[in-house]
Amino acid sequence: MLRALSGALLLAWAITAPAQALRPWSGGATPPIELQDFDGAAHRLADFHGKTVLVNFWATWCVPCREEMPSIERLRRSLDGKPFAVLAVNVGENARAARSFVDAMPARFTWLLDRDTQTAKSWRARVLPASYVVGPDGRIRYSALGALDWSSDEVRKVIEGVMK
Amino acid sequence: MDRRAFVTSAAAAVLPWRIAFSQSGWRTFEVTTRAEVDFAEGVSRVWLPLPLIDDNEWQRSLGSAWTGNAARADIARDGKYGVAMLYAEWPAGQPAPRIELTSRFSTRDRAVDLGRADPQAKALSAADFSFYTAPTEWIPTDGIVRDTARGIVKGARSDVEKARAIYEWVVENTFRDPKVRGCGWGDIKAMLETGNLGGKCGDLNGLFVGLARSVGVPARDVYGIRVAASAHGYRSLGVGTPMISRAQHCRAEFYAQGAGWVPVDPADVRKVVLEEPPGQLAVGDPKVVAARKRLFGSWEMNWLAYNMGHDIALPQSKGPKLPYLMYPNGETGNERLDQLDPDAFKYSITARELTA
Repeated sequence: MLRALSGALLLAWAITAPAQALRPWSGGATPPIELQDFDGAAHRLADFHGKTVLVNFWATWCVPCREEMPSIERLRRSLDGKPFAVLAVNVGENARAARSFVDAMPARFTWLLDRDTQTAKSWRARVLPASYVVGPDGRIRYSALGALDWSSDEVRKVIEGVMK
Repeated sequence: MDRRAFVTSAAAAVLPWRIAFSQSGWRTFEVTTRAEVDFAEGVSRVWLPLPLIDDNEWQRSLGSAWTGNAARADIARDGKYGVAMLYAEWPAGQPAPRIELTSRFSTRDRAVDLGRADPQAKALSAADFSFYTAPTEWIPTDGIVRDTARGIVKGARSDVEKARAIYEWVVENTFRDPKVRGCGWGDIKAMLETGNLGGKCGDLNGLFVGLARSVGVPARDVYGIRVAASAHGYRSLGVGTPMISRAQHCRAEFYAQGAGWVPVDPADVRKVVLEEPPGQLAVGDPKVVAARKRLFGSWEMNWLAYNMGHDIALPQSKGPKLPYLMYPNGETGNERLDQLDPDAFKYSITARELTA
């Protein structure tokens, strides 16, 4: 009963959270990303040069991370066929915990593991979710701290503007 | 016998230390702070301390997340000390402003062997030496503070000897005053001038820091909150419930060549004296003796470190500076909420240990 109540309270809090905004980036150079996926394959942000990349730092215990993720997938689908990719970087958890969440999340992202949290820290992703829109030239253009409705027209226009 | 062996054997000789302190084994905790502004008038703002930004050998941040109905939330940093906080803002008319911050971190017990040089110890730069021997607004390093410290360290040659002398002096001459609200603001000049050396951690460990700085020993307060029971049998040095809204606690460090930053906590020795059952223990009580030995050079990490900042100007606030940021802070209609009264503010802080 208590767990159900606390779960309901959490949900109520999350539902009332207003959307945060994408903010133009003024934080300097883009830190590198070189991380492994669940299968041990290495991925580098530099490999995505020429594409607009949404780098999303998340964790399974982060309620707003879980809630915004479907909207990221809707955004990705709406841009299907265009030079756009999502790097979803799990922060500080083991592969089993992250994978169990991902298995239940039908999203075609590049899922990466930042087990020692050093990549998140180099990106100054202290509060999750933390998201960054990286342009085709590899420069960070926008950031968002907190959950965002990534499938909104407003956000999609910003992303499409970066893709041009 | 080196110092660690001495401390360990001394600790093992008395009952409170169930186990000798260990440098292995990280533990992971989740701390959740929920703040609500009752009776909001005009714009409301809340500042919540975040775990220590920089990872070290005894604490690693695993990230934080927030939920709530804030119109704006961002990480803010104090310019001088880099103190990190979550800043949230609600416009006038927003009913029931509320925010919940969840932070995860790993920590492990910390001990410095002062009898053996540590080749890994980082040298303190000249700039850092100046920074950590400088006065703060609440911690002067001249006048009565320096005069007192000079008397205490007379005959001491090394930084360790000076710090040890100051530590012993604080333990011998101060007392924990349960009537002090919160952790005490650390007005050490007033303490020395009035001769009232009662207080809590903000006062007693602030006194250690001020006295040390005044004789050229780099020192700093570390502000945080207790998150778990003590594994060493001290009821007074831990929390027994998941609700930790009133469990804030600050500690102190000094810097010694060849050892690096050394953890100390004379205020907790006085807490053991006052609070450890049956209460009002003598300084010669074995529990106090063991705590006194242990708390010069080690910390049990059933505690989350937030920051090491002083004289904090809260971003977006026109209110006065804070001596430190260890509690949730808020204001509504430009009036500060009482950070020491979680029930009126209101806020709650809970902690739980995460097991694999």
